[in-house]
Amino acid sequence: MAGAMEPYLDSLRRELQSPGPAAFSVLLALLVVALTLLLWRLAQGARSSRRAVLLLGLCDAGKTLLFARLLTGKYRDTQTSITDSSAVYRVSNDKGTNVTLIDLPGHESLRLQFLERFKAAARAIVFVVDSVAFQREVKDVAEFLYQVLVDSTVLKNAPALLIACNKQDVTMAKSAKLIQQQLEKELNTLRVTRSAAPTSLDASAAGGPAQLGKKGKDFDFSQLPMKVEFVECSARGSKGEEGDADFEDLEKWLAKIA
Amino acid sequence: MLDFFTIFSKGGLVLWCFQGVRGPASAATAPVNALIRSVLLQERGGNNSFTHEALTLKYKLDNQFELVFVVSGPPWAALVSKCFVFAIDCHAVCSEGLSGRGLLRLGKGRVLREVSSWPRVGDLGLRASLQGFPGATSSPVIFLFPAVTSTVKQALQEALVQILQPQRRVDVLRDVMDAQRHRRPYVVTFCGVNGVGKSTNLAKISFWLIENGFSVLIAACDTFRAGAVEQLRTHTRRLNALHPPESHGGRPMVQLYEKGYGKDAAGIAMEAISYARNQGFDVVLVDTAGRMQDNAPLMTALAKLIAVNAPDLVLFVGEALVGNEAVDQLVKFNKALADHSMAQTPRLIDGIVLTKFDTIDDKVGAAISMTYITSKPIVFVGTGQTYCDLRSLNAKAVVAALMKA
Repeated sequence: MAGAMEPYLDSLRRELQSPGPAAFSVLLALLVVALTLLLWRLAQGARSSRRAVLLLGLCDAGKTLLFARLLTGKYRDTQTSITDSSAVYRVSNDKGTNVTLIDLPGHESLRLQFLERFKAAARAIVFVVDSVAFQREVKDVAEFLYQVLVDSTVLKNAPALLIACNKQDVTMAKSAKLIQQQLEKELNTLRVTRSAAPTSLDASAAGGPAQLGKKGKDFDFSQLPMKVEFVECSARGSKGEEGDADFEDLEKWLAKIA
Repeated sequence: MLDFFTIFSKGGLVLWCFQGVRGPASAATAPVNALIRSVLLQERGGNNSFTHEALTLKYKLDNQFELVFVVSGPPWAALVSKCFVFAIDCHAVCSEGLSGRGLLRLGKGRVLREVSSWPRVGDLGLRASLQGFPGATSSPVIFLFPAVTSTVKQALQEALVQILQPQRRVDVLRDVMDAQRHRRPYVVTFCGVNGVGKSTNLAKISFWLIENGFSVLIAACDTFRAGAVEQLRTHTRRLNALHPPESHGGRPMVQLYEKGYGKDAAGIAMEAISYARNQGFDVVLVDTAGRMQDNAPLMTALAKLIAVNAPDLVLFVGEALVGNEAVDQLVKFNKALADHSMAQTPRLIDGIVLTKFDTIDDKVGAAISMTYITSKPIVFVGTGQTYCDLRSLNAKAVVAALMKA
């Protein structure tokens, strides 16, 4: 074996002592490959680090308008979103860190698909609630929130959760406190009905849906593994389309979690 | 003149809006939202026009820049949006040359050929799946050039999962609890053609409800088929044996309300519901006779039963073996319910029960056809003949099995 390798080792030794043009090109090729691998690893690392803030919520909650206001400060007309929109947002703290704001569509057929795609990259989740239509939609809001909270990736990463009670400029809007109480009550009922639902067809899902909060006690947002906060905001703002949006609490929270 | 013309991105921001008629700016958003929800999101891209109240909207999608053009006005108005799209496309091709995205667009003919060569897609109804394509093929190509097959497969998978995702909340227990709080029974009606498994699945659903602590009244409104009432009586006896009254505070958890054969089904249903209200039952399950969708007198009778009794949930029971016949069944059932209803908004089918799932292999095209036709969710899946064989649908698993061609 050593005998067979001798001529190769000899030629290698000779090349190293008096390097010809071939040796240089080989060295250059190796360097390029190593550099590409390094860049690739860095890119992977950047992608896998969680820098995204997801904007979730039902249809017409005001996510796209909130997104536009946070980025440009101006009022824009919006329609029902069909795909996601993402942009880099410079947070208003001293360090000026950047987060990627991702606005996901709220429509029932799309919301879970898009959540699947972006949940791994989420550092924080802003769940936008329409405070005016809340009384009517409380069951749907709670169901979506429940689906987000029992997701295995969300439970593992425990991103900070903010429930933004939007549309506070309308007089009939419910306060954040009331929304919190109603959601806790509804989620309390939901975890019973959801765990009692017939098992899914693909029964390989380990152990069924995760248990939300503590067994035996009424559901409370403080029982969750992630930090949950409630703020009131208004994407439209009290002065309508000309004025600014009314969401200092939201901006402060974004600065805190960045 | 043009009534209305708007350009907005798929992400939701309105880029430009023109309103010919003087009116509040927000008057335009409602029809466009309705257009998005009923056409674009439900993948019903067959014809490019949509009518909402008095407004007829025509639309065009541009996948490269993810824009949607909506126009309303005289027939030549649609040309305006086509010109816009053509101009944008020309500009894109000139400025970017034959980039990856351009390749994807030019390869549309190849896309169609690839898809039609897959055997399984034929079962779904190629039309139904391809209608979603204009909106679906919008993957951004970055550095790599993905093969046409994988891009098409990805887009088709997303479109199918989107079709199977329920458009409204599917939580029967939550709604039963609500009805319980209002002290009225929650009424579920089962309808379908002959022999699909209505009575068997009714018994399975009763078992599931009893397991969760709700009392059930079964209304035997199948007054035609010999043995229908006896079948339900046997189920009631077995369910009561499994959950004896002693372990539930002395009251029987399941009871059968029947009036023999030959009577009017709608009348029996009405009496059963008021009996349930008086006796404090939580749920009423109404079993109807199987009927072919072409049988006009029987369809009228079913429509009358549903219109008169206003059940909380109308479930259509369909078997998974049915194939393309499901489309015909559902269309005719819905049509009959709509025609014979006196109300402004007629009660249509609210949900689907897919039965005999265990008799086929894992590729279920019927699920897609049924959900696409009614845009209502599949509430339960029956996977056998014992009481425990009741499942809920997992959209991703079904589509994954279907695409494993």
